[in-house]
Formats: sequence, structure tokens, C-alpha cells
Amino acid sequence: MDPSEVEFLAEKEFVKIIPNFSLNMIHLIGGDLGPFNPGLPVDVPVWLALNLKQRQKCRIIPPDWMDVEKLEEMRELERRENAFTPVPSPYYMELTKLLLNHASDNIPKADEIRTLVKDIWDTRIAKLRLSADSFISQQEAHAQLDNLTLMEINTVREFLLDSLNCMYKLRSNLQPGSRKGQFTDH
Amino acid sequence: MFVTDIRKDFYEVVANQRVALMVATDIDALCACKILQALFHCDHIQYTLVPVTGWQELCTAFLEHKEQFRYFVLINCGANVDLLEMLQPDDDSIFFICDTHRPVDVVNVYNDTQIKLLIKQDDDLDVPSYDDIFRDEEDEDGGDSGNESDEGSEPSEKRRRFDEAAIERRIERQRARREWEARRREILFDYEQYEYHGTSAAMMFFELAWVLTKDTKDMLWWAVIGLTDQWVHDKITHIKYVTDIATMQRHVSRHNHRNEDEENSLSIDCMRISFEYDLRLTLYQHWSLYESICNSCYTSCSFKLWTLNGQKKLQEYLADMGCAGFTLPLKQVKQKFNSMDVSIKENLREVIEESSNKYGMKDIRIQTFSVHFGFKNRFLASDMVHAASALLESAEKEESNTTDNFIKALDSLSRSNLERLHSGIDLAKRKLLAIQQTVASCLCTNLILSQGPFLYCYLLEGTPDVKLFSKPLALTLLCKYLLRAFVHSTRNKRCKLLPLIMAAPKDVEKGTVIVVGIPPESETSDKKNFFGRAFEKAAESTSSRTLHDHFDTSIIELKTEDRSKFLDALITLLS
Repeated sequence: MDPSEVEFLAEKEFVKIIPNFSLNMIHLIGGDLGPFNPGLPVDVPVWLALNLKQRQKCRIIPPDWMDVEKLEEMRELERRENAFTPVPSPYYMELTKLLLNHASDNIPKADEIRTLVKDIWDTRIAKLRLSADSFISQQEAHAQLDNLTLMEINTVREFLLDSLNCMYKLRSNLQPGSRKGQFTDH
Repeated sequence: MFVTDIRKDFYEVVANQRVALMVATDIDALCACKILQALFHCDHIQYTLVPVTGWQELCTAFLEHKEQFRYFVLINCGANVDLLEMLQPDDDSIFFICDTHRPVDVVNVYNDTQIKLLIKQDDDLDVPSYDDIFRDEEDEDGGDSGNESDEGSEPSEKRRRFDEAAIERRIERQRARREWEARRREILFDYEQYEYHGTSAAMMFFELAWVLTKDTKDMLWWAVIGLTDQWVHDKITHIKYVTDIATMQRHVSRHNHRNEDEENSLSIDCMRISFEYDLRLTLYQHWSLYESICNSCYTSCSFKLWTLNGQKKLQEYLADMGCAGFTLPLKQVKQKFNSMDVSIKENLREVIEESSNKYGMKDIRIQTFSVHFGFKNRFLASDMVHAASALLESAEKEESNTTDNFIKALDSLSRSNLERLHSGIDLAKRKLLAIQQTVASCLCTNLILSQGPFLYCYLLEGTPDVKLFSKPLALTLLCKYLLRAFVHSTRNKRCKLLPLIMAAPKDVEKGTVIVVGIPPESETSDKKNFFGRAFEKAAESTSSRTLHDHFDTSIIELKTEDRSKFLDALITLLS
């Protein structure tokens, strides 16, 4: 899966906006949105929020978890635990990137939030790398994927699967008396 | 006619239509175009963008597009000629013209149906009143013929008397008519004699955005660049520039106030515009201070850097700055500005101002704006103007045509195209160096001749960088610098008050030169240029082969062979 595909899926998440125009309810395949009244907050998917923001028709309100203190707590928790801690949102990395790129003037302390989210991401990816490494070297049969987000899984997916395939091939060729591999010779 | 409510009469009219945008090739027009494009993007208004360099291109573009479009928006072109006569449009084509060229043609002002002028009326336009120029032809001879038919039935004696009275009335009417026509010619001559410029088009469109409450900092920055372009290319008076800066300053403080909160400070990536009372040294933040002093018109002319004395004075000046209780070693001054010590950079402006005052440069600082986004991107408005105009007229590659350059220059104005902007700044540095060298060589070889009522200079074909000066903006800049340098270097008091005409080869194959005329250099100049009409008359009287294609009437193209007779005609005309 491409990271841009994961981002596309992330854009389905809902975020609160304050529009400056009025429109009746719109009926889309994915559900109903609206009605839009100037000055009143309404929940819309991120793709619509970004489009409206670029056309200067709304103001985006940052989600609850996008707050400096909460993110600092989460970062500390992540650093203390060995396992993966619960994430603020299943798409926290993509949402941070999208919202901070397009609407950083609506989000207070945007630079600190960017740094904090990057710290959390780095910690989790480091843990993931360690566990993938031990998974392969100790030939485990199964692993627990609690609290991992799609984007993080996506970063290891290709590597992990390829390396497991390689290990399998090598192991099956080491078995004595096997006729499968091309490495056997008389 | 003039549009009074720009939102109702312009924006809402084109809101659901497709619009053709014809944009002239100068930086103010580019900025206005960017603002309008941003507004159109917000509201999904479909438009077609056509850059036009002259009247011929405007006509061709119009012919191509007149089938598909009903609404045309012309930016910085079209106000100073009779547009309907030139383009011959259908009756349902509507033109919105936002042009800084003055005087506005009277037909454009008084046409109520097809021409809408997006120009502020308090812009001291001095348009002659309707009755002075136009006159209803209906009741002219109708009265006479009516009388004559009535008189047919009268007996002959009375008819003779009535005839005499009728003839006298007719003679009286004809005399009044001739007087009215003579006065009309005089009024029109006075009105159209001088060409000058009005409020920036970018500022007009920013006001539209403000009225729609869709103004963003990007649009404000483009409006500032448009205004600065008018100042850099010497199109408006200093007083007007300062007044317009004050208007922009109100908008800037409004934006800064709205977005800055004590606790929730803005991300470093957000754009910050600030008012600066900054140095008049061109591109000094992207160059070394020494290079900038050598290549800025103001300092180079004040020191007379093309002479040995001038060079010595510059060294004295730098040493003086160093001695003013503040170390400014030559090494620091000659390296890139960004690498200078922070302690020196902080007090730089005050130190330079103090030293400059001692050397007679009282106006080394000018009011302007700067933009700041990200950690290392800081630009002054004049930097952007120089970069964009260098890109617009770059003669680097042979195949690049005007549309490509136009798009490149347009791109360099957005924040996301920083490499384009930096390449523009490099081109601008080369252009400024070329201008300084050409000015120095012209003065040292006495290429500027006094022809009586004006000064004249011709750039020979072998001059280095002469291809750069075949474009109007670059040549006008060279002209301005040259005149200023000449005024500072000559001792002849009369010559200091003369205007300058400059000719440079434009197209070697076709054998044409480009001729530019600028008004005399003075402190209180009102920047009114009479060369437009003078060129036309001289061309007519000598039947020289000229092309008055540029939107500024003071820039024309002329066949090289007709140069001397054209000049002679001009001399006779203007003395």
C-alpha cells in the first residue's frame, strides 16, 4: 500500500469547522453533511474541510487531542512503556500533516505540536523496528499488533513480509533430504 | 463608464460566467492577475489567461477568443485608446478595464454599455465634461430645413426676407460650431498631451478582495509588490507612493492584529508582513553590502562610482562607517549579507543613515514592506519586483517566448516557488551589473548628446549585454539610471533639466531599434511624459516606419535607417 493511499483513507475522518457561508444539507454517498450556517460549528470529513479552507470558506478547529499538554503526556507515556500505547487517533500522523500544512493559522502553537507528534512517531517506529527484528531472528510464529496505526504497519509491511519469505526459503533449503530447492546437488 | 460598486457591478456579474483575462506584461499587472486568480479559484470562476505585450497581440487574442467569451477583463491595458474602435467587438461583449495608464480615453469614459472602468474616480483624472466634447447632431440643420419647407408656400418677397434671416441663423450656428470644435480640440489636446500613471491595479483588486472579505496575507503582499513596482520603475510620484504606502500600512496592521495573540503565537511558517523603513540599496540582503552599494542607482550616482574620485569616496565612506564607534571591517562588507555578523546587522540601518547624511545622501531610507516566512526566507518588496521583472524579460534562452517568461514570473510571486524566485534574484543581479557597466561606459565615452530640447543616447550593437536592453522594462530602468547619473555628473545647468531619449537595437534581422523617452529628472517631478504624442507626430511628419505597439506610448519601435530623420523631426517639434 502506498503512503498516499493511507492518507486518502485518513481524509475520511471527521473534523469540526466553522463555515462562513450557508448551505442546506448535502446528501453524499458516504452520508449526509450539514446544514452549514455561518458561525456555527459543523462536523465534516477532512477532505471537505481542506477544500473549504483553501477556498477561504471556513475555519478549521483542531481536534481535541491536538493540544500541547495532552501530546506531551502521551509522549512521556510512550517513552516509558515497552508495548505500544493507545494512540490519540488511528490516523494521527496524517491528520497532523494535513491540518498543519493547510490550516496552521487556525491551530495554536503549531510548531510545538508538529515536534511532539514527530517525537511520538519516532518512539513508536523505533519500538516497531526492534520488535520486527526480534520477530525475525527468534522465528516467532505470531505477534500482537495492539494499538498500531495503519501508517506504521505500512512502513514495516513490505520489509517484514519480504524478509519472512526469504527466511522461509532459506530454512526450507537447509532441511536435509529435501528435493524442493535448487541448491541441493549430488 | 466608471464602476462605482466593484462588487455588484463587476464580481457578481462575472460570478457565473467564463471570463477572458488579458494581462499586460508588467509586474503590477502580474500581481493584479495573481490576486484575481486567487479570487476566481475560491469561487470556481472559469477563466482563460492571455498575456499580451502590445496592441497587436491584444487584437489577435481578442479575435481568437471573441466567439467563446462575452466578458473580458483587461489588466493594465486598454484604457488609453478608443477600445471599441480598435477591437470592433460585437454588441454583447463587455470589457472590464483596470489600467494604470492615464489619461483615460474619453470614449471609454463616456461609453455606458460595453466599457466598464475599474478605476477610482478620485484619482485626479480631470476628464473633460461631456458637453465639451460630444454634441448632439440632431437639432443642427433640422431647424433650417423645417423653416425652408414652410417658406415654400410664402409669397416671394417675404420668402427673400425669411431666407436672409435663415441664412444668417445658419451662418451663426456654423460659427458657433467652429468655435466649439476649436475649443474641443484644445481641451482634448491638453487632456491627452501628457501620459502618466494612476493607482496600482494590484491595489484595486486587493480592495475588491477586501470588500468581499476574502483578502488574505498573500493578496496583501501581492498588492504591496504591485505598488512597489510602480515606484521602482518610476511611474508614480513620491507623494503618491507615500500615500499609497500609508493605505497599505492600514491593511497590514489589520492583518497583523487579527492573527497575533499573546499566548497562541503563530507558526513560523505563516507569512508575516511588516512595515520597514529600510535602505534603498537594491537586493542588499541577497548580495554583499559592498556590491549592493556599487550597483544601486541612488548610491552609485551620489558617489559617481564611474570615476576614480568616486571610488575613493566610497572607500572613505566605508571607513567612516567603520570609524563611527562601530567596527565595520571591509571584509565583512564584501561578503554575503547573510554571513555578516549579527551584531553588525542589527544596527546597520542607523549606521548607514548617519554616514550617508554626511555624504549628501539624505534619502537613503525609504518606506517599504518586507515579508517573512519560514526560518530563512526574508524578502523586501523591491527584491521581489526586481526578481520578477528579470524573469519576465529574461533573454537567456533563445526559444523562450513571452508566454513562458510570463508564467515563470507569475510563479515566482507565489510562496511555494522559492527556487524560481532565487533564480530571478540572480538574473536581477546580473541585470543590475549590466546596467551599471553600461551607464559607466556611456558616461565615460560621452555617448549622451544634447540635441537641444532633449538628451539622446544610442546603444551600439556591439555593446555588451545589449540584448538585455531590447526589452522595454530593462531599457526604461537603464534610461532612468543613466539620466540620474548624467545629471549628477554634468556641470551644464541647462542640461540637467532636459528629458532623455534612448535608443537600443531591438531586432537585428528586421533592423529595428526600440526608442524610449523619459521626462526630466527632478525632485518634484510629476512624472508626466509627453513623448507619446511627440513620437506620433514626428513619425507622421517624416513618414518613418514606426510601430507604436507598446501600451506605454512613450516606447516605440523604429527602423534603424529612419532614425536620423525621426530625430530631426523631434528636434524641430520640441524646440
